[in-house]
Amino acid sequence: MARMKFLCDADRCIECNACVTACKNENEVPWGINRRRVVTINDGKPGEKSVSMACMHCTDAPCQAVCPVNCFYTTADGVVLHSKDLCIGCGYCFYACPFGAPQYPKVGNFGSRGKMDKCTYCAGGPEADGSAEEYAKYGANRLAEGKLPLCAEMCSTKSLLAGDGEIIAQIYKERVVKRGYGSGAWGWKTAYRETIAS
Amino acid sequence: MLIRRTERQARRSGLAAFAGQSDRGFDRRTFLQRSGLVAGGLATLGALPLVSVRKAQAGPPPAKGAAVEIKKSICTHCAVGCTVTAEVSNGVWIGQEPSWDSPINRGSHCAKGASVRELVSGERRLKYPMKLVNGQWTRIKWDQAINEIGDKMLEIRQKSGAESVYWMGSAKMTNEASYWMRKMGAYWGTNNTDHQARICHSTTVTGVANTWGYGAMTNSLNDMRNAKTLIYIGSNAAEAHPVGMQHMLESKELNKGNFIVFDPRMTRTAAHATEYARFRPGTDIPVLYGMMWHILKNGWEDKEFIKQRSYGFDDLRKEVEKWNPEECERVTGVPGAQMERIAKKFATEKPATIIWCMGQTQHSVGTANVRASCIALLMTGNIGKPGTGANILRGHDNVQGATDVGLDIVTLPFYYGLTDGAWHHWARVWETDYDWLVSRFDDKKMMNTSGIPLTRWFDGVLLPKDQVAQKDNVRAMWVQGHASNSITRIPESLKGLKALELLVVADPHPTTWASLAVKAGRKEGAYLLPVATQFECKGSRIATNRSMQWADPVVKPIFESKDDLEVMYLIAKKLGFADKMFKNIKVENNLPVAEDILREINRGSWSTGYCGQSPERIKAHMANQSKFDLVTLRAPKDLPDIGGDYYGLPWPCWGAPEVRHPGSFILYNHTVPVMDGGSGFRARFGVEREEKLPDGTTRKVNLLADGVYPPGSEIQDGYPEFNYGVLKKLGWDKDLRPAELEVIQKIGGDKADAVSWSTDLSGGIQRVALMHGCAPYGNGKARMNAWNLPDPIPVHREPIYTPRVELVSKYPTLPDAKQFRLPNIGFSVQKAAVDKGIAKDFPIILSSGRLVEYEGGGEETRSNPWLAELQQDMFIEVNPADASSRGIKDGAWVWVTGAENAAKAKVKALVTERVGKGVAWMPFHFGGWFGGDDLRANYPQGTDPYVLGESANTITTYGYDPATGMQEPKVTLCQIKAA
Amino acid sequence: MNTFVARLRIFVTAFALLLLAVAGSPVNAQQPQRVDPQADAVKEEQLLQQLQVIKGRGTIPDVKSYTLEQPAGRDWRHFHEVTLRWIGGIAILGILALLVVFYLWRGMVRIESGRSGRTIVRFNAFERFVHWMTATCFIILALSGLNITFGRPLLLPLIGLEAFSAWSEWAKYAHNYLSFPFTLGVILIFLMWIGGNIPNRIDVAWFTRGGGIVGHDHPPAYRFNGGQKMIYWIVVLGGSAAAISGYVLIFPFYGTDVHSMQNATMVHSIVAMLFIAAMLGHIYIGTIGMQGAFEAMGSGTVDVNWAKEHHSLWLQQEQARATGSNQSQARPSATPAE
Repeated sequence: MARMKFLCDADRCIECNACVTACKNENEVPWGINRRRVVTINDGKPGEKSVSMACMHCTDAPCQAVCPVNCFYTTADGVVLHSKDLCIGCGYCFYACPFGAPQYPKVGNFGSRGKMDKCTYCAGGPEADGSAEEYAKYGANRLAEGKLPLCAEMCSTKSLLAGDGEIIAQIYKERVVKRGYGSGAWGWKTAYRETIAS
Repeated sequence: MLIRRTERQARRSGLAAFAGQSDRGFDRRTFLQRSGLVAGGLATLGALPLVSVRKAQAGPPPAKGAAVEIKKSICTHCAVGCTVTAEVSNGVWIGQEPSWDSPINRGSHCAKGASVRELVSGERRLKYPMKLVNGQWTRIKWDQAINEIGDKMLEIRQKSGAESVYWMGSAKMTNEASYWMRKMGAYWGTNNTDHQARICHSTTVTGVANTWGYGAMTNSLNDMRNAKTLIYIGSNAAEAHPVGMQHMLESKELNKGNFIVFDPRMTRTAAHATEYARFRPGTDIPVLYGMMWHILKNGWEDKEFIKQRSYGFDDLRKEVEKWNPEECERVTGVPGAQMERIAKKFATEKPATIIWCMGQTQHSVGTANVRASCIALLMTGNIGKPGTGANILRGHDNVQGATDVGLDIVTLPFYYGLTDGAWHHWARVWETDYDWLVSRFDDKKMMNTSGIPLTRWFDGVLLPKDQVAQKDNVRAMWVQGHASNSITRIPESLKGLKALELLVVADPHPTTWASLAVKAGRKEGAYLLPVATQFECKGSRIATNRSMQWADPVVKPIFESKDDLEVMYLIAKKLGFADKMFKNIKVENNLPVAEDILREINRGSWSTGYCGQSPERIKAHMANQSKFDLVTLRAPKDLPDIGGDYYGLPWPCWGAPEVRHPGSFILYNHTVPVMDGGSGFRARFGVEREEKLPDGTTRKVNLLADGVYPPGSEIQDGYPEFNYGVLKKLGWDKDLRPAELEVIQKIGGDKADAVSWSTDLSGGIQRVALMHGCAPYGNGKARMNAWNLPDPIPVHREPIYTPRVELVSKYPTLPDAKQFRLPNIGFSVQKAAVDKGIAKDFPIILSSGRLVEYEGGGEETRSNPWLAELQQDMFIEVNPADASSRGIKDGAWVWVTGAENAAKAKVKALVTERVGKGVAWMPFHFGGWFGGDDLRANYPQGTDPYVLGESANTITTYGYDPATGMQEPKVTLCQIKAA
Repeated sequence: MNTFVARLRIFVTAFALLLLAVAGSPVNAQQPQRVDPQADAVKEEQLLQQLQVIKGRGTIPDVKSYTLEQPAGRDWRHFHEVTLRWIGGIAILGILALLVVFYLWRGMVRIESGRSGRTIVRFNAFERFVHWMTATCFIILALSGLNITFGRPLLLPLIGLEAFSAWSEWAKYAHNYLSFPFTLGVILIFLMWIGGNIPNRIDVAWFTRGGGIVGHDHPPAYRFNGGQKMIYWIVVLGGSAAAISGYVLIFPFYGTDVHSMQNATMVHSIVAMLFIAAMLGHIYIGTIGMQGAFEAMGSGTVDVNWAKEHHSLWLQQEQARATGSNQSQARPSATPAE
């Protein structure tokens, strides 16, 4: 079975935020919840790079490991999902996540920070595929329809790649060979404990 | 660990309190709330039935069993022309899918394109017509609105004349709608019809057309894939044309290309450059000349190209020689060594292209700027071939189209100009009596007089009557789809808003016209008409590369919105000329049929080659998008309907549709046959020119191409534009069909020889020219010397407000003059600024530009929560050195003050090295604040955009391009203080 | 803590970069800086090695989102999953084991001279209320807190995901809300008993003589003996540390970043584990560990003989005061203690 991954080719990313609004659009994510974001390093300086980041769906995911109530699960595709019914909004996953992926609807912790929300790789949640309940809680389930996450599909410069880890790594490798430079597969070492030779 | 589906489905959701719950299946109450109607009070809803307030319900997935329809439209946010694929179920737009088939965007979108679905749920849209009553926005019905507006207009016409009503249209409308708006002007009796191109690329159109014939992007985004060297000067494609960047970055990668960015800011585009050169805002011409200086010194110019295909090189050389590396560095700041390196790459690593946008155009020397760019291309032979060209990126989704269809103050549709001949041509196309058209104007002279540029509408309102060269001042503004905050000098436009007798804003949003009108103190005489977005309308639009694309409505107009064309039909009916105007157009339920209008356009647009783009051909292209090649945009020759066509039939697409010209993928490409889209430069400026020599004698210089011609041309040299007389001389007149000949003779009467390729309504002259392998417009030379422009050879002129006062005496702006019915006192303003020492009090150069999340005046995009969340505060970019010397911290509030009208704006500081020391930059998309005051309360309730902020143009100042009336928001002076 | 070192390094590097930027910036503003982004392109590996965390600029107000990568989350995860469980396990199970062994060896510490039948007031109603309020809160806080660390491996398999999640959510509410009375209790305890809990020389003697628990000795003590003072300070200091770090967690990212939050959870959980262990000892000695001790917090009065054996100096003080003030304050009563 394919192992789904994200790869942001920072040498292509122009911080256009298409991935961000595509995510909002596809999943109707409310204001204040940012499943995906673009960060610019060395802004305005030589060596400026922008990188689009969301949940990387880590191998041996830290969020999953630290969740006190075990609300996370990894699908056969390697997508890390969680159950909002089980989540108690404790915030631990955010502390453990290397990528700042988990989001909470409330800023305070009183009672609860609300059910954690994060990128689902457009793969919905535990409810029945494509059901209204699933959409309400987690957003779209494109994977079940044989489509990839919309953020990557709509990326303006084809910088953000999604799909089978081996295939997107191959695409990236070929790009680097062809153009002669590459700043690395951002987050791969941390998320998947592997790097793509560039 | 893995939760099995079966197990999951059985679970009850006891704790499912989820903030992100979507809003499907809401009851009537929620429905009203979400429609924003509760905010205004149910009372205002009155007895109106709910059905008239169509609210597109949001939210996938579709109801069980409901069919999902796929509809294609075009993104409304910039001119790249991305196809939008919509999933529609039960009349509700429930999802957006990547448009993989489009050769332009290949599935991609930018932040704006990926969020367009929100536009038709439109929580913050203007929902019904409103009227300002005693300072309060009050709901009225469409009938009442149209009646009251029409009566007032007729009253003003009676009192002040037809010219006192200003028609401001939009680059966001379809070709059909903007064409119709221009026609409205003609039938109403004024040339005061303008749209965004004035503040966008009016200088490009004028400058570039005066160089080689047409003022449009010569190549295309796709063709940039062929380029070895890309030079950006005045373009931040990464933010303004993100999907275009896909092609550019791939070009850079595949060709190991040079990606060179000249910009005062280290932009997101510059971040991807192989070479970045920072220069002082307003010195584009010295930068380009500095580059050309090295080219000439090293003999890197394309001598053969210059000789065969250009005119005026010797005059140019004299000007270029002044810009040695020392002077260039002194004025621009770019060091000679870097300049030489860039010049070498540009001239020797071919094909090379220059890419520009509003960085070059929005200056008091905008026309000269773009001319200098064209000249650089001509000098190196980088034009008319794949991978070369002037890749001029247009701004709005249909700004190229709206310009072509003549929604403009200087011309009738398709650049026929304002002459008797042009009026006669269009009277014939419209089948309207010419004399009747004349009778509509205040006098016949005004018919052939350019209108007031929209950059100066308020000068038209406010200046003393004797300074405005028309019967009376502007008294009424009909604004259909244009922002007010994208126009400079807002403090003065505020006075104009107060002084107007009638203000009509027809737009999906109330826009800053509404909030500023109230701020200005208006209590009455203002109307807001809800107009649908292009996702609710049908029609064609032209992308930046001249490709035409057809869009079908995704959903019906929401709330009480109406299609642009319907609004125009209603007002035309009220004003009493609908019968004449819609003579050949079918009108269904008050909605004119867009296809009929495009056919009328086809019948009249010979000059620009919109004649071959029939609705049927364009629709076939949309249906077969996947068949077109990514790089050449061409469909395989053996396909039915579209075989051999270039995608969207990029104009000029010669002849009648039946001629099946494929469109022109690359303009002026003489390496392919005319029937494959080839041609020489347009022979627009005559056959020869008499030049005065220093000894007082004259000589005649040939203006036709010298020994170059497209393959297959039966004339193997340059040739003039075709008319019946030329055909006769060539003996090709016998190829005309009798029906064609009849039309020609009917048009020409006793002067049939003068009936040309552009006025022959039969299309016969074009057909015959094409038959013989010739371009109808001739085969001429491009002009380095454009003798009819204020500066025939571009000359550097300091911005009106410059910090380098010591350069003003050497490089002053042009003398004061009367242009476009108004005085242009740029010279006096510049002189006064120097004399008064403005640069001491306002030492920081202020420039403005785009953010990727917003577009234009920004009200629409700031009303889209998915976009608004990403840019929540108006800001100014300040260099760390300037910030620290003023005690300004990143993210803190600052006051920006401007050099005119004691203008001030409260914005957040973004301390960054994107801008150099002494330079600040603001995005121009914000509005809804003025001088520190939040104007949220001035919007009709529930229509205020999520994000408001100060407009950059509150601070911008005087400065107008003499050839076009373009404003100067790209360079002025300001001061910044911690708030 | 290695995150602290990491942060220091970030600071130093940032400062160095700033110096570089200042030194490198051109004298004349309009002079361009030649920039070749390709040549200077940053690579993820380098950044991670230099800075341990990759930060940049974003546009949304959520400044947390500007941190692109913080691999420190991995260390925190290890702490949460492994280190803390060892610390907690050893501390709690260790102390329990010690107590069992001790009990088996020593048995209950009896009132050697037997009950006198006369009692003396040791804690008044307010003091007892404060103690029990704090204690109740503490027990719930401890259990709900331990649930976060140990619930998933121990309790979840027994009751299943839904029940465990529901219980945990309520436990979390309880943990958050009971923190307030608990904190109040700690403050009151601090104020109420600070007078008797300043360590002094007698405590040294008390400790050297094994507190009278290890052997059968009865070292003299005032109202609070060395052991009790220890508990007092554990409650005051540990309680404060737990409360402060806890409030940082309740108000996430108010002036803190993810590192501070990680540090706060680490402080909170370690302190809590040790606190719980210490309190087990306290509970032991207050209940089955010592005859007559529970009464002090139960009814508030203790047998005079108990007082004589464990708090001889305090008893003398009380008796002296009673005689001095005409038995108005502490009055040994003739009624039996129970």
